Amino acid sequence: MNSLQVDKIIKNYGDKTAVSGLSFEVAAGEIYGLLGANGAGKTTTMRMILGLILPDAGDIRYLGKPYSKEQLSMLGYLPEERGMYPKIKVSDQILYLAQLRGMSRKDADQNLKRWLEKFQVPEYYNKKVEELSKGNQQKIQFIAAVIHNPKILILDEAFSGLDPVNVELLKTTVKELRDGGTSIVFSTHRMEHVEELCRNITIMHKSNPVLQGSIKDIKTKFPKERVIVAAEGKIEGLDTIPGVQRVVTHEHGGYELRVDSPEVGQSILKHALVQGPVNRFEVLEPTLNEIFIKTVGESHE
Amino acid sequence: MNNSLWTVMIFTMRNKLRSKSFIIMTIVLALLLVVAGNLPYLIDKLGGGDKITKVGFAQGQQATIVEGLKEYYAKLPEPGVELVSIASEGELKSALEAGDINGYLSFAEANAGGFPQATYHSKSAFEGGTASSLTAALQQVKTDLVIKDVGLSDEQRAQLFAPVKLMTEKVSFANEKGKTEEEQGMAIGLTYVMIILLFMSVMITGQLIATEITAEKSSRVMEIIVTSVSPLKQMWGKILGTFIVAVIQIAVLIGALVANLTMPQNADILKNFGVDLSTIDPKLLVFAVFFFLAGFFLYATLFAAVGSIVSRTEDLGQAVMPITLLTLVGFYVAMFGLNQPDSTLMIVCQYIPFFSPFLMFLRIGLAEPAWWEIALSVGILIASTLLIGWISAKIYRVGVLMYGKRPSIKEIVKAMKAYKV
Repeated sequence: MNSLQVDKIIKNYGDKTAVSGLSFEVAAGEIYGLLGANGAGKTTTMRMILGLILPDAGDIRYLGKPYSKEQLSMLGYLPEERGMYPKIKVSDQILYLAQLRGMSRKDADQNLKRWLEKFQVPEYYNKKVEELSKGNQQKIQFIAAVIHNPKILILDEAFSGLDPVNVELLKTTVKELRDGGTSIVFSTHRMEHVEELCRNITIMHKSNPVLQGSIKDIKTKFPKERVIVAAEGKIEGLDTIPGVQRVVTHEHGGYELRVDSPEVGQSILKHALVQGPVNRFEVLEPTLNEIFIKTVGESHE
Repeated sequence: MNNSLWTVMIFTMRNKLRSKSFIIMTIVLALLLVVAGNLPYLIDKLGGGDKITKVGFAQGQQATIVEGLKEYYAKLPEPGVELVSIASEGELKSALEAGDINGYLSFAEANAGGFPQATYHSKSAFEGGTASSLTAALQQVKTDLVIKDVGLSDEQRAQLFAPVKLMTEKVSFANEKGKTEEEQGMAIGLTYVMIILLFMSVMITGQLIATEITAEKSSRVMEIIVTSVSPLKQMWGKILGTFIVAVIQIAVLIGALVANLTMPQNADILKNFGVDLSTIDPKLLVFAVFFFLAGFFLYATLFAAVGSIVSRTEDLGQAVMPITLLTLVGFYVAMFGLNQPDSTLMIVCQYIPFFSPFLMFLRIGLAEPAWWEIALSVGILIASTLLIGWISAKIYRVGVLMYGKRPSIKEIVKAMKAYKV
């Protein structure tokens, strides 16, 4: 049985539809990507999962059970807009939030020390949040979301505003949580993170789920339209090959071509080989970024 | 899950009690009250009571009047004025300059009434105390002189000057015996103290509750908190926590005041003023506690509701303005009612829940409202406190998740429907 089951949830605000008929399931130890442009209904979906808003129709189940107060202690939430009490000590507020989630103060204290140790910032225990840098505040915020060992974790834009070192650190931590059996709902605008972390995704557009499934399946649905070719010298006349839409010359050698269909790749290779040895040739599957823009951008018109 | 209410309460209290501004404010207020508590004693010690003003006069000038003045001051227990004879009129000024005397009297020629125009000369034109004392003395001397001319006997004279005595007693219909003047005075005092206390605590803690909720919202901690604990528990945890902090603060302040007032040097002086803390009616104290609690929670929930719909601390002042005005109106109607507890305004306003904590208590203390008036007012107050608490909780529930510009009532109602609360 999956940890989190969302079944055809619908939410209307007045005559405006925020989420319409969304269904998905997250297994234990899985990171599920929830993608969509701004205002597509991601936050509303997350708020419904968190029990802040009741769906107008549909059903959300946590380990098979409907929403109840007991569910709260197994949920963890990292909101998009970060916020902590600026003038209160890190330890005080994290322990407070952990206690609200039903943890004992002693256990929470042990967990907090362990997490601070893990992030290599044990000295923050007694510091006020306003004394910390933005990136470090975000680490504290992350700790606040996971301090009570939640079974279901909701991360809204978890890595925004972090430097690459800290992104790596948090990404590793998220993977460890996943491997520990936590179900994670993950929302971001950074597609490379989704490709790295998520097994299944939903792309939402204007309150509707427009694309759902595993990343692998989704990618096979989209034609391979990019070809990379590189040789020692210049390759002339690539743009004259039928089926080639656009040629981009890379600064450090090589060409990136956009083609009508994957088969055009073969004629590109033939064309290049005539002019000399080719040291790189690849027909690329579409990136999630392209798929996203295609899905959301096209239906936008 | 009731311990989450407890957790919110403890957290609120801990942060308030630890904050520097709270500690400093309490200490400063306590020090002010210690000074105020010792004021009767300090006035007695520092005041002009036992300082004697030396008033010079030129020897030989208007001897009868001067003699009368001397007799008058000799009879007073604390004269405050000592008449000093100076050799001649010319030397008076130099004696004043040298500091031998504090001022001097001069007399012009007798006018038509037969009593000369007297002038008191001093370094400062504002020596009101001495001047009025001299006026009273001269009046007495003049009266004596006239009486002597008429030729009344000493007995008739004593009768003329015997003061009239008027006793006041408030008639009570409920109790067998009416309140004495002292009890009445204590009731006024207690009413006054209670009204100011309620007003201050509502203003200060109400603002505090609203500010904290808005701050939680604007710092977005709210999003995490509402996913951990039900908004209702959070709101009440906050109100109760702040309430306990306010009670602790009030206890410290009243403790400081009462401890100083009951110190031996002050207690005697207070007794002279007719103030005796033991004459306070215990029934009145019970009402004081009740109306304080009801008034506090009525306003606190309102402040919480308003705090929850505002997203930015900058907008809060404007948003709480209506509530602030309500408390102000209640306070000033009460101040007016101290003198006229039975006016129509008071009788109407005692049933309005926003004013009744101030006014019904005042009427119980100072007037004699019928039992059904009290019951009706208390009933309305309790019902509306519960109702407003309930509505506030609903507003709070949707308010905490609404960001952006301050929502209109219509938008709040719409949101309530959407959130199914």
